[in-house]
Amino acid sequence: MGIPYVPVLGLAGTDLLARRDDMKLLPDPFHPERQTVVAQALRPDVALFHGLRADRAGNVCFGYESDNVLLAEASRTVIVTVEEVVDTLPPEDRAGTFMPGILVDAVVEVRYGAHPAGAPGAYPHDDEHLTWYAEQARSDEAFAEYLRQTVFDLPDHAAYVARFVPEGWGQRGQLRLQAAGD
Amino acid sequence: MAASWNEAELMAVLLSREVRDGEISACGALSMIPAAGLLLAQATHAPNAELIILSSPFMPFRTSRQFHYLAQRGDLGLFFVSGVQIDRHGNYNLHVLGDPDRPKVRFPGGYGGGMIYYAARRTVVFRTEHTPRSLVERVDFISAAGHTPPEVLRHGHPSKVVTPMATLRFDLEAGLLRLESVHPPHTVAEVVERTGFDLGDVSAVGPTPAPTEAELATLRGPVRARMIETGTYADWAEATLGAGLAA
Repeated sequence: MGIPYVPVLGLAGTDLLARRDDMKLLPDPFHPERQTVVAQALRPDVALFHGLRADRAGNVCFGYESDNVLLAEASRTVIVTVEEVVDTLPPEDRAGTFMPGILVDAVVEVRYGAHPAGAPGAYPHDDEHLTWYAEQARSDEAFAEYLRQTVFDLPDHAAYVARFVPEGWGQRGQLRLQAAGD
Repeated sequence: MAASWNEAELMAVLLSREVRDGEISACGALSMIPAAGLLLAQATHAPNAELIILSSPFMPFRTSRQFHYLAQRGDLGLFFVSGVQIDRHGNYNLHVLGDPDRPKVRFPGGYGGGMIYYAARRTVVFRTEHTPRSLVERVDFISAAGHTPPEVLRHGHPSKVVTPMATLRFDLEAGLLRLESVHPPHTVAEVVERTGFDLGDVSAVGPTPAPTEAELATLRGPVRARMIETGTYADWAEATLGAGLAA
């Protein structure tokens, strides 16, 4: 977005405000008798997204409504993985969240790149895997073991898919957009 | 007299009574009981209420950001929210239990609530558990504050807390939750014992008016049917409304 800070309604009196130094309760410059929280702008060096489909110009279709574009607009470098890359996005792919290629620095085709989370329009959350993840996340040791099995011991993403993505997960063949709002 | 409704039905009826005709009222994600309460209100005393039920067909916006803008403008009359802990000052916690630097349990957080608690004209907190661990003297983490200094911009405050045992009312002047009424067959003494903070003088507290035949019939008939046919927590409505009546 490129602005230094934003006013925020709410958050006064919360521990979130008390514990962070990037938000402050300040007088409204236009109505000094009123106070609101202002939050320092986030300026991420890199933002990573997973979209449904991208084209060769870097335009990305997410297949669902989200505020992803705001984050891309705030970030210095934007990298997007997608389920598939096509030459040109069809006009209907501009439904839902659409990220114009001018905001995108790199696109990487990674089928099942969102797993074990879902990619709306392509496949759902993998509840079984997420339950396992949640159990492993309860201790540092168990989580290290999770990372060993799902990341460090695998040569590449194809090995991950072969090992962890259920056979025929989601729709086969042509990816289809979900209705807007889903 | 034995109650002839289940806990969820009781709470849905009590929440529905908080909805005012002509206002915009809303509930967040994973809010089956408030969703039923909103639809019940619209089918009974509030036919002109506008309803927003996030993640359902009763969501007029494409993103939650648009809903947040509506609330920030001061156009949201009533919001239903739940918290893991609620304290006597009307603060609620949807972040962590235990030391925030080393939490025992982490919850979704207060992204929406940290704003809507201040923006909605009235917020009713619902909690399906009435115990000393859910109604506490001081929450482990304040996700949204019940009371703020007068110079802080806010459009509204918490108005009530509804549990399966009682309704508490937020006394804005004192900044404290007071016991408003107790749902029979529960007693005032039981509520005092199961509340983790001092409720003050409870000598004048009476029973909550029971769900009426008309409210229950509407909830179990048209509201249940509407939830099922619109896919608004359909499985929950089918399994809960009109089923498993308490002895």
